Amino acid sequence: MGKAFNKILDECVDRLNRGETIEDCLATYPEHAEELEPLLQVVFEAQKAYRFTPSPTAKMAGKKRLNAAIETLEHRQKRRRPWSQWFMGRPRLWATAAAVILIALIGYFGLRPILFPVETTPEPDSSLVTPSPQPNPEGNFVFLISDEVNAIGDFESLNVTISKIGLQAAGEPERWVEFIPEITVVDLTQLQGDKAQEIWRGDVPEGQYYQVFIYVSEVIGKLSETGETVEIKLPSNKLHISTPFQVTADSVTMFTYDLTVLATGKNGGYILKPQINQSGAHQNPSQDN
Amino acid sequence: MHAKQASAKRKSKEAALSALYDEYYDKIVRYIFAKIGNHAEAEDLAGEAFLKALHSLESYKERGFPMHAWLFKIAHNLIVDYLRRTSKRKIVSIETVKVADASDPQAITEIKMERVRLASALDQLTPAQRQVIELRFFGGLTSEDAGRILNKRSGAVREMQSAAISRLRKLLHEK
Repeated sequence: MGKAFNKILDECVDRLNRGETIEDCLATYPEHAEELEPLLQVVFEAQKAYRFTPSPTAKMAGKKRLNAAIETLEHRQKRRRPWSQWFMGRPRLWATAAAVILIALIGYFGLRPILFPVETTPEPDSSLVTPSPQPNPEGNFVFLISDEVNAIGDFESLNVTISKIGLQAAGEPERWVEFIPEITVVDLTQLQGDKAQEIWRGDVPEGQYYQVFIYVSEVIGKLSETGETVEIKLPSNKLHISTPFQVTADSVTMFTYDLTVLATGKNGGYILKPQINQSGAHQNPSQDN
Repeated sequence: MHAKQASAKRKSKEAALSALYDEYYDKIVRYIFAKIGNHAEAEDLAGEAFLKALHSLESYKERGFPMHAWLFKIAHNLIVDYLRRTSKRKIVSIETVKVADASDPQAITEIKMERVRLASALDQLTPAQRQVIELRFFGGLTSEDAGRILNKRSGAVREMQSAAISRLRKLLHEK
């Protein structure tokens, strides 16, 4: 089949898609009718086999969900806007605030070795942090959260707020990739067993990684038995696991970070910790051809 | 970019996405249905594709890639995830096929058998040929849009389409 015929066949498929008939197309190209007819018949048969009209109820419900999600996003932005606009409209005020913050920071970091002599986990050197990758539905890296069965049965809901995710890459010097999840609040009670929730998908630089940090800003649980709301404290604002994995450009690496909540036995308290044996990465071949 | 400009840009993308819902929802459902063989799941996944697009709007840059083609790409990724979750590519059997119009038992049986026959023939195409057929016949996309999704020139898509249709014809009518 030549290029010209391919174009004609392509045009006829478009016309069938628009609701025209095989005969309409054959009438336009009578010189190719003999060759075209059986091929268009195949197109027609295939479309007929899979023809169906989606349920109007499902369509309407989907549209409602989409509009509600748009409204929620707009509402969030509106809530943020007045404060920033009000503040930025007062240059003297923000200049003063910036000076106060600067002085406070200098004072704090200057005195910190004296005030807090205990060694803490070093934060990644900002010069070694790769600029945050943006979410991208076709990206090569997917980050998921799951929950290993444990004391989760005590909770009606257990919402973990994740503010940031950090991946530490191997090599000299060590590099960091940090990104903000698209979904920041996950309810662990909904993610038990094999269930996992995707919270970010995007492109991550290729390479070998060996540590994954999640920065948790808040953990709020509602106890099933009493309905009481409890806040679970973490020793620091981040949880980390060390597990090597590879990210490549031609495959999608899916990293599942499994969290577990355990009863401490003291004062009916709970702690949240990563479950290393359930966490890790696996790769799927790229979806691109 | 100034906050006002960014906000206006985002709003215009949201409006475009909402408008595309009315135009492309049915096509995306059919495209998904042809790949997973389940009406209800196809409708759910199509809705999910639009929500996912909304939450990833920041990453969408037109640059010759229309938003509706981007939606199909998102839908494709959701299908891959779905099939991975269900652990295997759906094998459509006569018993499990559901037909929307359940009024004529004979017609139902015929359509069910036709779908099984077609699914089996589609499975014998190359993955790229199958993708072209799914995007063109069921998604109703043009060859140009299918090419954007598959990262191929429209001429290459047309060539693959012709080869796929000829192959399907042989497979469907050889017995």
